[in-house]
Amino acid sequence: MLTALRRIAGMAVTLMVASFIIFAAMYAAPGDPVTFLIGNPENLTPERIAAVRAEYHLDEPVLVQYWLWLTGALGGDLGTSFQYRQPVASIMMSRLPATLFLVAFAGVLFTVIGVGLGVWAAVRRRRATDSAIVGATTLAASFPSFVVGILLVSFFSVQLGWFPVTGAGDGFLDRLYHLTLPAITLSVGALAIVSRVTRQSMVEGFDSEHVEAARSTGMSSGAIVVRHVLRNAWGPIVTMVALVVASMLAGTVVVESVFGISGIGSLLVDAINSHDFAVVQAVLLYMVVAYMVVTTIVDLLLPLLDPRIGTRVKPS
Amino acid sequence: MTRPAHSPRLGILALAAGAALALSACTAGAATDQTSAPDVELPFGPSTPAATGTVDSVTWMLPAEPATFDFDIDSGAAENTVLTNVCERLMQVQPDLTTVPHLAERAEWVDDTHVVFTIRGDATFHDGSPVTAEDVLWSMQRHAAEGADESDEYANVAAIEQTGASEITVTMTQRDAIFIQAMAGNGGIVLNRQVVESLGDAYGGPGTPDACSGPYVLGEWNPGTNLTITKADDYWDASREVLADEIVFRWADQSAVVNALTAGEAGGSYLDSPASALPLLSVDDVTLAQGASTNAWVLLATERGALEDERIRQALSLALDRSGIAKAAFGGLAQPSKTPVGSGAWGYERQGFEAAYDELEGAPASPSEADLEAARALVEEAGAPSDPIVIASDGGSVRNVISNALVAAAENIGLEAEIVTVPSAQYGDFYSDESVRASADLFSDEYYISKNDPVGFYKNGASTATVNFVGFADAEYDALVQQAFAATDDTERAQLAIELQRRWVEGTPWIPVAQSPATVALRADLTGVPSSAAYLYYPWAADLGSAQG
Repeated sequence: MLTALRRIAGMAVTLMVASFIIFAAMYAAPGDPVTFLIGNPENLTPERIAAVRAEYHLDEPVLVQYWLWLTGALGGDLGTSFQYRQPVASIMMSRLPATLFLVAFAGVLFTVIGVGLGVWAAVRRRRATDSAIVGATTLAASFPSFVVGILLVSFFSVQLGWFPVTGAGDGFLDRLYHLTLPAITLSVGALAIVSRVTRQSMVEGFDSEHVEAARSTGMSSGAIVVRHVLRNAWGPIVTMVALVVASMLAGTVVVESVFGISGIGSLLVDAINSHDFAVVQAVLLYMVVAYMVVTTIVDLLLPLLDPRIGTRVKPS
Repeated sequence: MTRPAHSPRLGILALAAGAALALSACTAGAATDQTSAPDVELPFGPSTPAATGTVDSVTWMLPAEPATFDFDIDSGAAENTVLTNVCERLMQVQPDLTTVPHLAERAEWVDDTHVVFTIRGDATFHDGSPVTAEDVLWSMQRHAAEGADESDEYANVAAIEQTGASEITVTMTQRDAIFIQAMAGNGGIVLNRQVVESLGDAYGGPGTPDACSGPYVLGEWNPGTNLTITKADDYWDASREVLADEIVFRWADQSAVVNALTAGEAGGSYLDSPASALPLLSVDDVTLAQGASTNAWVLLATERGALEDERIRQALSLALDRSGIAKAAFGGLAQPSKTPVGSGAWGYERQGFEAAYDELEGAPASPSEADLEAARALVEEAGAPSDPIVIASDGGSVRNVISNALVAAAENIGLEAEIVTVPSAQYGDFYSDESVRASADLFSDEYYISKNDPVGFYKNGASTATVNFVGFADAEYDALVQQAFAATDDTERAQLAIELQRRWVEGTPWIPVAQSPATVALRADLTGVPSSAAYLYYPWAADLGSAQG
C-alpha cells in the first residue's frame, strides 16, 4: 500500500517537473506565436502585436504563464489550441485512437515475430539460421522508417493496390486494414532489438545447470525450450518490449506523415511549427504519462512472470 | 486579406514527394547547368475542360485538416477550398479571376466615398430563410469588427448602413477602389445571423452546421479523419448546374496526397506546390492542369543595411537566374517572374497588363551577358557593401535553391554573399521581429494576395507599408498608390497599377523570383473544375463532373 502511494507521488512529481521543463523549453524555442496568431504580415503593426500578446498572456513572465496553464490543467482544462480554437483535450481525443491503435498493432507484430525469431535463432544457435536471422533483422533495423514506409506504400499500395494509401480507417477491421503497412513500418526497426534480446537471454538459459538437469532426465527439447528456457528469459524480453512500445508512443511522427494518418505525432509537429503551446504541452505530457504507464505495467507484470523478482525485494 | 503562404513541414517530406527534386536542390549552385529536369508544359488556363455528366461522390485531398470554419477567426487554403462551395459572398470570383456580382445583384459607387450594394431577393440560406439585407449588414459588421481576421478589408470603412429594403450603403473615409473586389473574398461572406448567434462560440467547429447559402451544405466532420459536403437540396439558384453530389475531403502531407492520387484513392486535389505535380506527370490515370494565381516567390530586402542602395538590389535582380530556380526548385512547373505578384492579379484589363509585363526590364528570366555587364556597372557605381550580403534559408528545398542562386548571382557580379539558416518555425518572424530581420539582408517567401488586383499588392511598396522593410521611399510612388486606390474606373486603375509595377521593379524593394501557379490534379475520369486560383473563392465542386462523352 505504502509502495503504491510512494509510486503515485513519484509520478506526480515527475509530471510536474516534466510539465515545467516542457513549458520552459517551448518558451525558449525560437519563433514567436504572434506571427502565426496574426498571420497577415501587413497587419503586423506594433500595436496589433502588443494587443495579441496581451490577449494570450504572452506578455507575462514565463512563470506567470506557467501558473496560468497549471491552474487550468489541475482543473481539467488543458487550454485552447491557438490553431484550431478548440479545447486541447478534444483535439487530443480525436487524434489518440489512431496512434494508440497503430502502436498496439506494431507492438503485437514485433513482439510475436521478434520473440519467434529470437527463439528460433537461439534453438539453432551458432548455425546458419541463427546468422541469417541476426543478419536480416540487423539489416532491416538499419533502414530509416520513412524509407521503409515509402517503399512499402509505393509497392503494396500504389503499384499493387493491396492496401489503402492514406488514412486510418473507421471501425476495427477497416482500421486494421488501413494500419497494416504503417504498423509493419514501425515494427521493422524493433525486430532486431527484440529478437536479439530473446536470443541472448535464451542462449544463457540453455547453458544453465537446471536446463542441463532437465535434459538429463530425457525431457523433450520442445518442452525444455518452453518450460525451462523461455520461461526464465521472459524478464528481459518483456522489459525490452515495453521500452520499445513506450518509445513508439512518442515516435510515430514519420510513419504518420508518410501514410497520411492524423495522429498524435503529426499533431505534435504541426503544433511545434505553429507555436501552438497548449497542444505541444499536452502532447508531450501525454508522452511522459504513456512512458510512466508502460513502465509501471511492466513493474507490476514482472513478478507475476517470474516469482523470483517479487521475492527478492521482500525484506528477509 | 494578403498573406504569405508559408506552410512549415517536415524536411523529409520533400524527399518523399520527389527524391529527384531534393537531389537537385543540393546542387542548386549549379542551377544554370540544370538540364536534367525535363521541360514540361502542362495545360495552362482558367479551367479544365467542361464536364459532360454528374458524379456521385468524390474524395478530395486537402493539404491539411481545416482548423475552423469561422473565417472571422482565421482561414487558410484548406478551409477556403472547402467552404467556398458552402458559403457565398456579395461578389464572386470567376475561374478567369474576374469578379461578378453574386448575392449582391449590383454594386455601385454612387459618389467618391459611398458604395451601394443591392441584395438580390431570391437567395435563401440552407435553413430555408431568405438572405436579407439585415443578414448582410450583420455579416459585414462581424467581418469589420476589431481583431476579426478580415477586418483589414474594412480599413477604410467609416460606416455600414441599411438604406433600403434590399440596399446596403458603405461609407468610406477615402476612396477604396478595390473594396467591391474585396467583397468577393472572405470579407464578403454573407452569414445567417440567426444560425451563427444560436451556435455562439461553437460556430465553425466540428459538428456545427454552416450558416450559408451556397450550392453545398457542410456535412459530417470527423476530426482527424474526413469531412463531407453534400449538394444542397434546394439551392436557390436553380439555373446553376451542380454536378458533384458529394465531396469527401481528406487531408495528408503532400507525399501522401501524391500517393493517394497515383493509386486512384482520391479523385483530385489542388496541390500545395507545383513541384508536387512532378511525380504525377508519369501517372496515366491522373490529369494535371495549371492556372494563374497571385502567388509568387520573392526575396524581401530588410533594413539590415547591405541592400540600402537600390542599385545593389537592381544589380542582384539583373543577375539572378530565375529559369534555373524554376527548374531546380519546381521542376519547371513554376515560371520565372519579372514581377513580385503572379499574373492571377490581373483580374481586369488583362491584355493591358500582359503587354506591360512583356515590356518590363530589369528582372530577366536568365541574365544575358548584357544584363550581367549592366549589373556589374551598377555595383561599381554604388560600391560593394563592406560586409557580405546575408540571405536567409530555412534548409527547405525551395529556399535552398533560391538562396544558392542568389549567392551565385552576387558572386557573378563582384559581390560577396553568404547563407544563414533560420529554423522554419522561426522563419515567419522575419515579418514581425526586427531582431530577426537584423540577421539577414534578404529572406525568401511565397507571397500571395487574395484580391485579383495588382493595386492590392503594390501598396506594399508605399513608404509607410509595414512590409516595406528596406525603406524604399518614393514620394511619387506613394502618390500613385493613393491615386490607384481612388481610381474606381478599371482602365484608369490598370494604368496606374502598371506604372506602380514599373517603379517597383525599378526600385526593387523585393526581388521577384518565380510565379507559382495554381496546380490541380484530377483522376482522368473527372474534369470541369477551375485550374486557376479561383478554387479558393469560387464553388468549384459544382463544376466537377465526369469526363466521358
